[in-house]
Amino acid sequence: MTAMPTTEHKTRGTEASKGRARSGLPRSRSAVSLSYVVLFVGVAIALAPFLYVVSTSFKESTSLFSYPPDWIPSPIFWGNFESLFADHPFVQWTFNTLFVSGAVTALKLWFDSMAGYALAKMEFAGRRGVALLLLLSVAIPISALIIPMFFVVRYLGLLNTYWALILPPLANPLGIFMARSFIVGIPDDLEASARLDGASEFTIYRKIVLPLIRPGLVVLGMFTFMLQYTSFIWPLIAVQDSDRQVLAVGISGLQSAFLQDWGLLSAGMLAAAIPITVVFLLVQRAFVFNDLSGALKE
Amino acid sequence: MTHIDPGLTGAQMTLSPEEHRRLAKRYRRRTTLTAYAFLGPNLVAFVVFLLIPVVWLLVSTFRTGGVLGPAEFVGLDNWRDTFSDPLARTSIRNTVVYSAMAIPAVFIIAMILALALHAIPRGGAPIRVALYLPTLQPAVVAAFIFTFVLHPDFGVINYAVRWLGGDPINFLGDTTLALPTIAGIEVWRGTGFWTMMFLAGLTALPGELYHAAELDGAGAIRRFIRLTLPLLRPTFYFAVIFATIVNLQLFDSVFALTDGGPVNSTVSVSLYIYRSLFLFGDIGFGATLSFLLVVTVLLLTGLQTYLLRDSK
Repeated sequence: MTAMPTTEHKTRGTEASKGRARSGLPRSRSAVSLSYVVLFVGVAIALAPFLYVVSTSFKESTSLFSYPPDWIPSPIFWGNFESLFADHPFVQWTFNTLFVSGAVTALKLWFDSMAGYALAKMEFAGRRGVALLLLLSVAIPISALIIPMFFVVRYLGLLNTYWALILPPLANPLGIFMARSFIVGIPDDLEASARLDGASEFTIYRKIVLPLIRPGLVVLGMFTFMLQYTSFIWPLIAVQDSDRQVLAVGISGLQSAFLQDWGLLSAGMLAAAIPITVVFLLVQRAFVFNDLSGALKE
Repeated sequence: MTHIDPGLTGAQMTLSPEEHRRLAKRYRRRTTLTAYAFLGPNLVAFVVFLLIPVVWLLVSTFRTGGVLGPAEFVGLDNWRDTFSDPLARTSIRNTVVYSAMAIPAVFIIAMILALALHAIPRGGAPIRVALYLPTLQPAVVAAFIFTFVLHPDFGVINYAVRWLGGDPINFLGDTTLALPTIAGIEVWRGTGFWTMMFLAGLTALPGELYHAAELDGAGAIRRFIRLTLPLLRPTFYFAVIFATIVNLQLFDSVFALTDGGPVNSTVSVSLYIYRSLFLFGDIGFGATLSFLLVVTVLLLTGLQTYLLRDSK
């Protein structure tokens, strides 16, 4: 379901130049203007709350309640950030979050692309059963499993470790189906000829399948990374030690421990938003034009 | 399927039928082993972190204790407790009402933005990034941002309300407003994600059909209803299922914003499950509620699949 190059529009001269070539829809000028207005409103609503956070993070908490509110803090107050980095293991939380999210993403991309290859291209006993079982488990809500997961992880002796944060998310089967939907599109002839040349399945996977599905994997990777970066309930339960905690839980702790220090909280939120935003900017091009919804199609 | 056995291709002519069958069987067995090796890591994770927990849940719904003392079999007591517990019922109702508000709202807003993004000739990239920023934030961060945006004393919304001459609105402290407010915050956070999802679907639509429809004189709204919506069915199928699974697990923003209050008007099923484990230590009760949530989501997903899937 990725965007196909739309060469056929070149032959359509006037129509293609009047509208957008992307999917060949001709557009009237008023529709385009209206779209810009709608998007302007959307962007304003999406961004305005962040401006509030940026502004608050550079204010002393005493000047927060001034009326009317001043959007540009004067003088700029750095104390919130100083306190964030000096009094709280913020750098450690950031590292933990990036490390755990990175590890989960890398492992999931590897495992899911292998499983997706097996489901897409191999005929084996029990294929339908395995696919059905995994598909059913897409619908299992993780937050309903926190109690048993807590006991499983405790039984394995992994509470309060990075493993407790990295291993359970690997069971989320959605990525397998996304990977499978990328791999199904690869022509069978490609692997068949490699197989004739004596290549093993693993070689075919590594040398042919992986390079071909790389754009899809970038999207799946960003999706996984983001889900992991924003996960909350499981880290809250699995890790008690503040030094092993992730950003989302750490920041929520800033509130209860220091009764509504809005300046500090804002500084924490701003600093926490930066790494994920940078990661997103790096891959956003690939992220937009790939449709993940193909995953749940038979 | 074109699975060609390298061992068979050359010598095929000279093999006896039995030998042929034997080789074919060996080949199939090898493929099956390879396939399971490829599926291995995922199957292990599936068994340890999904299958065992679900079975454990089911068993625990018939037992009590387990944290401090040994577990005891209590039959259907937990089920009776769960169904007769008024707060359990409230939590289920809150979760359903929340989902019924949040999911349609986020889909409609995201669809409008996706159509707009699809219509503009340039400037799409920075707009997409801006729209996506809220989605990148953990729910607790979004929750805190709105705690001050909506604060009754110094929140910006209430400045505006007061400036217009109204009384400040206590969005999160009012039993009727708190749940819609949480839904609104989650819509703010989710819009970017669904906009990109729908935009990807729109981008992949075949342009020729639209040219034909336009030549036939179909207007924009008619084209949207007759062409775009039906063609986006696979995208909607994924969207509805994924949004249902995610939204019925509502926890983070409630935990950060209201902790279930005021007067339990925002207690979600997941929050109640969390409480039953960490505040009351009542495993049997929490397990029963969890198991109910699993069954509900599975049934809903099944129903949605039945209603939305292509009849091929």
